[in-house]
Order: sequence, then structure tokens, then C-alpha cells
Amino acid sequence: MSRRIAVAVASALALSLGACSEIDQTAKSEKIYAGKKDERAADGANFGGDKKKWEATLAQRNNSQNEYLRTDTKK
Amino acid sequence: MARMKFICDAERCIECNGCVTACKNEHEVPWGVNRRRLVTVNDGKPGERSISVACMHCTDAPCMAVCPTDCFYKTDEGVVLHDKDLCIGCGYCFYACPFGAPQFPQAGAFGLRGKMDKCTFCAGGPEVNNSEAEFKKYGRNRLAEGKLPACAEMCSTKALLAGDGEIIASIYRQRAQTRKKGEEVWGWAMAYKMDGKIAPLGVKS
Repeated sequence: MSRRIAVAVASALALSLGACSEIDQTAKSEKIYAGKKDERAADGANFGGDKKKWEATLAQRNNSQNEYLRTDTKK
Repeated sequence: MARMKFICDAERCIECNGCVTACKNEHEVPWGVNRRRLVTVNDGKPGERSISVACMHCTDAPCMAVCPTDCFYKTDEGVVLHDKDLCIGCGYCFYACPFGAPQFPQAGAFGLRGKMDKCTFCAGGPEVNNSEAEFKKYGRNRLAEGKLPACAEMCSTKALLAGDGEIIASIYRQRAQTRKKGEEVWGWAMAYKMDGKIAPLGVKS
């Protein structure tokens, strides 16, 4: 009896934890891109493949859209 | 990993068409093709609202699903792009897109339809970054220059936000909470006629 309860509790825990994971948002398509390969945004003359630097630059631009940060106004 | 998205804050948009003009100018888009446009609801009536619409760079893009030549691809940042060398101008993507994003130049004789053109999130296309070939086919590649799309950066009221979905969503949330209105205009509550309010910062709704 106690074993059944333990199994039931373990199953319930596993189920409840399962809901915490992020749902995969990649497109499930059979289609395969048939065109030319593109360069990544960080590749090229401006960043020379340094993805971290590119991401940091873009994040800075991103946050500059927020006036509350730009004007240092407290909410 | 950033997931690039657009949000238009309908409470701030003043229908100035600055984003439309910035896009046309930046990419030298031909006559008759509008990668971005403004949609106004209840135009001329009190309480009218405008939003700026272009390609929404869908997670599961219908244009990709219907393309007979498989010319669409998605970048690491979630930007939906296409190869114009493969496009046959069939127009299937136009019918599939719920936002009317795909555009077709029709300058030729007999209503000839050219290759599809759409918003690239200022990320160019499958050519060498910032090359002349890329500019001619797809327009300027601002992302490779470390810049955001011209439409959003040009927006005078910062109604149009572009960039990493996490960051721009938090900017919009902070605005809606500060002004204590506007959250009902754009988003789930509007789309699904819900009365729910936006959850506080840091809490997933």
C-alpha cells in the first residue's frame, strides 16, 4: 500500500515538474532551405565574428529604446 | 540567444509614417513596394489607434511552410529571410501571411509580378554582409553593423520597439504599468477579449 502511495506521489511530482519546462518553439517543418548559406550577423568587417561583442552592442541599442533608463527616471 | 521581434505601442503611435519613410529610404525600396505600413483602427473617430505593421518574423512562419521553392530560412536570431535567387514570384507566401508582409514589384508589362520583397528586420539576405549585392537585393544590413531596424530607431515617440523579444517586452510592460493604461490595446487581452491585466515585472503572465 505504502509503495503504491510512494509511486503515486513520485508520478505526481514528475508531472508537476514537467509543466515547468519551456515549450520548444522551433518550427516543426519538413521543409529544408534550398538557397544560399547566409553569413551570421556577427560575421563580417564590423565585428569579425565576435558574437559576444555583437550581442552586447545590440543589447545596448535595445535598452536605449527605454526612456526610463535613458533619462534615469525612477518609476 | 536573442529572439528578434517588433512591438508597436498603440498608445504612443501618432501615425506620422516616419517608420514607413525610414524603411523606404534605408533600403531604397522600389515604387509600389511597402515593407512597412501603418494600420489605423477607427480612423477619424475619437479613440482611434494606429499600429505599424511589417513582417512579424513568426516563430512558425506560414510563408516558409507554403513556399514551393523553399527559399525561406530563419537566422539564429529568429529573423525570417528569403533567397531572391530562388523566389519565382508565385505569391503563395502573400496568401499565407496574416499580416500582408510579402510585397511584389509590379512595374513590368502585363501586370508582371517580380520576386517577393519583405521586411528583413534590417538583416539583409544570403549574400556577403554589407556587400553591394546584398544591398541591391535585400537592402541594408543594419544588424551586421550592430544596429537595430531603421523603422524603430527612427520612431520619434518610440512607439515602435524592435530587438530582443525579452527586452522590448519588458520595456513595454514598464510603460503600461507606469501610465496605468494601454495594456488592453495590444496583446492577448485585445486578441482574445480578456479582462486580464499585465503581470508585474519579473512575473510571467
